[in-house]
Amino acid sequence: MGNTVDSVGAEVLEVLGEVLSQDPEALRAQPVLAGYDWDSLASLEALAQLESAFGVRLDLRAFQAVRTVEEMAALVAATLNS
Amino acid sequence: MPELVDALKAAVGAGTVPGPDLRLALIQTDDASVLRKAGRALAKLTDPDGRLRPLRLSVVAACTVGPLESLLRACLVGAGACPAIEVTPYGAFELTLATGGFDRSSELLLCLLDESYFLPDDLDVTAPQAAGPYLEERLAQLSGLLGAALRGSEATLVLHTVPLPRALRDTVLSLRARGALTRLWHRLNAGLLELAEEHPQVQVVDLVGLLAESQVAARDQRLHKYADLPYTDGALLILATEVRRIAQARSGLSRKVLALDLDNTLWGGVLGEVGPQGVELGGLYPGKSFADLQRTVSRLREQGVVLVLASKNDPDPVDEALRRHPAVLLRPEAFSVSMVNWAPKAGNLRKAADALGLGTDSFVFMDDSDFERGGVAAELPEIAIIDASGEPAQLVDSLVRHGWFDVVELTGTDRRRPELYRARGLRNDFSGGFSRAEDYLKALDLTVAIEPVTRFTVARAAQLAARTNQFNLTGVRFDEAATAAMIDAPDRLALTVSVTDRFGDEGLVGALWVERTARRWSVLNLALSCRVLSRGVEFAIVGRLAELAEQAGAQVLEGRFTPSAKNSVAEGFWEKAGFVPEGGGVFTFAPGRMPDPTPSWITRVDSAGSAKSVDRVESEEQ
Repeated sequence: MGNTVDSVGAEVLEVLGEVLSQDPEALRAQPVLAGYDWDSLASLEALAQLESAFGVRLDLRAFQAVRTVEEMAALVAATLNS
Repeated sequence: MPELVDALKAAVGAGTVPGPDLRLALIQTDDASVLRKAGRALAKLTDPDGRLRPLRLSVVAACTVGPLESLLRACLVGAGACPAIEVTPYGAFELTLATGGFDRSSELLLCLLDESYFLPDDLDVTAPQAAGPYLEERLAQLSGLLGAALRGSEATLVLHTVPLPRALRDTVLSLRARGALTRLWHRLNAGLLELAEEHPQVQVVDLVGLLAESQVAARDQRLHKYADLPYTDGALLILATEVRRIAQARSGLSRKVLALDLDNTLWGGVLGEVGPQGVELGGLYPGKSFADLQRTVSRLREQGVVLVLASKNDPDPVDEALRRHPAVLLRPEAFSVSMVNWAPKAGNLRKAADALGLGTDSFVFMDDSDFERGGVAAELPEIAIIDASGEPAQLVDSLVRHGWFDVVELTGTDRRRPELYRARGLRNDFSGGFSRAEDYLKALDLTVAIEPVTRFTVARAAQLAARTNQFNLTGVRFDEAATAAMIDAPDRLALTVSVTDRFGDEGLVGALWVERTARRWSVLNLALSCRVLSRGVEFAIVGRLAELAEQAGAQVLEGRFTPSAKNSVAEGFWEKAGFVPEGGGVFTFAPGRMPDPTPSWITRVDSAGSAKSVDRVESEEQ
């Protein structure tokens, strides 16, 4: 309980930055994933890295619906809290 | 292990090749999530100085490959290769093989398959055996494709056996029909394995068998449905590891020499303490585990692995134990080079490599001691190191699981190699000197605490007196009662010695018993566990004792040495500490007027409390 977008945000940003080869700050400024090479390979890599970094299994339908970095952090936080 | 990935990124960022220690860490990592990150970090690896062996690899897949490319890269760099990996387009498996549409200069061609390649769409679950001819036909088609792909190529093609998904097995309700499906599937996998007989360039990895013994699941149903990815990262890592082993064997990157410690590695217990009859070897557990290790080592030797014995012991008892212990499988002749002495092991391994005419990068070293492994790793980072501490039942697995010694095929020379090298080794003399690896010792952060014995430590001190045979200066064994009586005796002093280093706490490893008069302090005995020998701990002990004697106003510190059958390692100790021989096994030292023998790499912790309690006893005496 008690995981929030704020508490997981930095690590989510770091993982996505690594996967998309973007500086985390740039990603924070422009958080729409479709603005980068967010293709099926990148999204699979992000899924695997987020799941191993946080020790969770994300709901794939919710994962597919994610559009921005904040939404991804919210999904991770919600999964951690569930 | 984020440090590994960070270190790899730093090396790649600096335009250099990761060092041998990082490469060995890649091979010894089982965590697929770390390795897929490592593989990504290594994607931009360049090797301007040509330190790695270039290796071209193509992956042709009948499904999605997921992180396979990253995992392969991490494993191959670990083996000392600089891989160029091509993944051919998705959905064109048969076309790519039939037309040779992959990098024709590839040395390795990996085919990734799943069950969908072989199963008919309309499998009759009431009579699965009817699918037999279809499966055979698919296998024959695959064989034809492999033949076409390999025509005019020298590549090694790697295939694997394919798991039958559990969900399909469970969908077949009749036990008899399920048995029929399972049989068909085993026949299919046997057929895949036989392709290696049909095509000399084909190697088949038994992925099914390896998965059965591993902890990882074959499939993540979500990723299979979402991305047509039939295998988990863990399963792909098993495959990548086997590809690494094939590449290593094919490219001559495998190792040739196995250097082994004796005590608590090839047998249980310390020979110098328990004698040849007392070591744990053969019979029931744990002796059985050490016998199994000896059998496995002997089997490696039969296949051409050169053995080196690297043990800190006196040579004669080792020779006797190896010759006469009934459960020993590795007799002295099994070792091409025998380095049994008290010199640092890194130097010994270097000498062994010189004698054999082989590089230390072809060595694997197995030892239970953190200290010895750390010392070798610090000086010879290219040596692959196997940790033999912990559960002895795991020893065999630890030795063979990484495939350090794999070869494509055994030659006559392989089988004769240990004898050839033994002859070469015998021409060299290894008396081995006492040189100090000071840099390593400095990096160890050795801390030695020397404190008066207490009610809590008296039992351990007495145990050291009873059990220590090698570094036992006079053989006088003070028991618990005698030691306890010294706690309050004004003319006696018993001290204990504890050692810690960066590998952890060695605990209470030494004790000494001293007789005191106002003018003269005499060491009645000093016993130190051989676990901590060759780190200079014994000199720090004398340094502290001299300091205490000086504070008490004593003019002379006296030491004795009484030779025994087992304490030759301690011979010459007093002279090395700066004492002057007086004859009759007596040595003297002038506290405060002769230099403190404590080595520069040791931090002595002389707790205020302990110093005070000694002073107090002294003042009462005066």
